[in-house]
Amino acid sequence: MSTTGEKPVVLSLEGATIQFGGLIAVNNATFELQQGDLFGLIGPNGAGKTTCFNLITGVYKPTSGTIRFQGKEIGGLTPAKIAQMGICRTFQNIRLFPALSVVENVVVGAFLRHRTTLGSAFAYLPSSIRETSALKKEAMDLLEVMDLADVAQARSADLPYGKQRRLEIARAMATRPDLILLDEPAAGMNPQEKEDLQVTVRRIRDDFQKTVLLIEHDMRFVMGLCERIFVLDHGEEIAQGPPEKIRNDPKVIEAYLGEAV
Amino acid sequence: MKFWLVRLASLLLAVGFAFGLESVVGHQFPSIYRLVVLAGLYITLSVSLNLINGITGQFSIGHAAFYMVGAYSAGFVSKALFSHQPLVPQLWMIVMALFGACCAALTGLVVGLPSLRLRGDYLAIVTLGFGEILRIVTQNIGAIGGAYGMNVKPFGSPPQALWLVWLLAILCVAVCRNLLKTAHGLPFLSVREDEVASAAMGVKVPKTKVTAFVVGSAFAGAAGALLAHAETFISPDTFKMDVSFIILTMVVLGGTGSITGSVISAIALFAIPEWLRNLQDPVTKDPIQIPGPALVASIISVVIAVALFKAVQNRFHGSKPAKFGLYLAAIAAGFVCKLAFTPILAQAPGLAAKSFEASALRMVIFAATLIILMLIRPQGIFAHHEFSWSWVAKLFRRAPKEATA
Ligand SMILES: Nc1ncnc2c1ncn2[C@@H]1O[C@H](COP(=O)(O)OP(=O)(O)OP(=O)(O)O)[C@@H](O)[C@H]1O
Ligand SMILES: [Mg+2]
Repeated sequence: MSTTGEKPVVLSLEGATIQFGGLIAVNNATFELQQGDLFGLIGPNGAGKTTCFNLITGVYKPTSGTIRFQGKEIGGLTPAKIAQMGICRTFQNIRLFPALSVVENVVVGAFLRHRTTLGSAFAYLPSSIRETSALKKEAMDLLEVMDLADVAQARSADLPYGKQRRLEIARAMATRPDLILLDEPAAGMNPQEKEDLQVTVRRIRDDFQKTVLLIEHDMRFVMGLCERIFVLDHGEEIAQGPPEKIRNDPKVIEAYLGEAV
Repeated sequence: MKFWLVRLASLLLAVGFAFGLESVVGHQFPSIYRLVVLAGLYITLSVSLNLINGITGQFSIGHAAFYMVGAYSAGFVSKALFSHQPLVPQLWMIVMALFGACCAALTGLVVGLPSLRLRGDYLAIVTLGFGEILRIVTQNIGAIGGAYGMNVKPFGSPPQALWLVWLLAILCVAVCRNLLKTAHGLPFLSVREDEVASAAMGVKVPKTKVTAFVVGSAFAGAAGALLAHAETFISPDTFKMDVSFIILTMVVLGGTGSITGSVISAIALFAIPEWLRNLQDPVTKDPIQIPGPALVASIISVVIAVALFKAVQNRFHGSKPAKFGLYLAAIAAGFVCKLAFTPILAQAPGLAAKSFEASALRMVIFAATLIILMLIRPQGIFAHHEFSWSWVAKLFRRAPKEATA
């Protein structure tokens, strides 16, 4: 495993590029996340941020370039395989399992660590019952942390918006990923909820030792939270570095049309 | 220890129930023996299709094809081999059920693997087409009876298959229920809910879909094998597209995803047409006649009642008891209309003279019942719910709880 400085590299993109017909949605993206980074990915609408996530999580196969996770090439693997290797994500347009209860949603995430066979479930053997209650317990603990324990039995579709976003994070955390990708986790939240979310994201990094890559439009949110930021515009990198540098970068200011950054 | 005792008790209960049913129906009601056998098979078929369509969210509409594969493979082998082997008929039927299940599972794998890996509803087209191709090919293979059908009479006398059929139904229900009770059921449900999110959580989506499809097909195959032995005669016409659609209707009507719903609607949808077929006057034993004016008045009033019911459902947002009262009022309005319209329509000279035999109208009544149910309860009778003892207990406990509140 290569290291820069002191911490090991978790994720590295080298010239990752994807083209949809004539449109180059992400061009030559090159960046690196180290263990324990809180890394921001920003850019105007349609810049290619979500597409970047889709490349990393295997929804799309890069047209060229390499994506490495903990030293292993993952470009083109299936999403399920990548999730099992330790990358999990949330979605910009919340994608919960609406008819399932809150705790069931989280158990789906935890299920990738199951040990018993499907046959033992068909036969309702004690091993599969024990495993089920262990996974449920684990899910309940996570819900406790995410402050969702009181709605554990509710249908996930019935939750208010902010809680749905938090549930998506809890579900991703349940897979016990090393790297967690959050696609606009604060979208649609009120200022109070955003502040709580910042605390939660910090806890995910500090208490749970995850590396976090997040997309966010709210500049105050990103600048206050992330230690390093990568800026995309029309699929191209326009800046990369710590928040102070990004805030004063002329290209970034131009891309955001003078919006206070 | 307690766990295994409960397990043993429920196993004994299931076997006891199956044999009890066999002896009660066999001795007391021999005239409906065949119907009870078929009802048991339909339970297996609808619950197994529910695993594919309701629980895993795929859209298979040719379930009869796997029923047919099981019936023909087991029937053919039984005919050829039974006389050369030492098993008693009962054990032989179990072996044949397993064999039919394996053949259908393999067929399911071949049909499902390519179509389930693709997105969209390819499965619907493929399963429907496969069923028809299979039927037409069978019609043209002389060795298995062609269009005339095949006699399956390995044993001298017709076998006692009812207990086995119902054991299979219980097994199918138990397997699906067990799946949903453990965490292993969740990936199946999550695939139904959102494939992309499932994959992002590490669920192997294609494998999950194919597994559900193969297991569902296997149960249909086992049911087919038992059908071949119970009926001692099968023909391609036994497995027409109608059968697939009836099974599909059972699943949708019961509430996709609800095992309880599938069981109940399988019995109901199988029993209603049979009951209508045999409708006769209890005294004279003549087929029941429905006079023309009454029939037309009924149609009009049913339409009115359903329209009122829908209106209450969509427009009224008051308390539950009030809504329930309005539902009853809508149904009562239908009855009043029927009473009011019948004498008026009797004035119409052409209509008054006509009358219709109830049994001839049975498919019409059947279809109308389905349409009405789908109109007023599109999520199916049971929606996503399941029967459970705690639910029953809650019903009984509710009254005192409200009294204290
Ligand atoms: N599957 C696809 N096929 C074709 N074009 C696509 C596809 N996915 C994304 N694009 C295009 O790629 C570009 C980048 O989209 P992307 O969703 O990554 O933007 P984004 O940075 O996440 O924007 P937003 O802030 O609005 O979420 C857009 O122009 C989009 O239309
Ligand atoms: Mg986006």
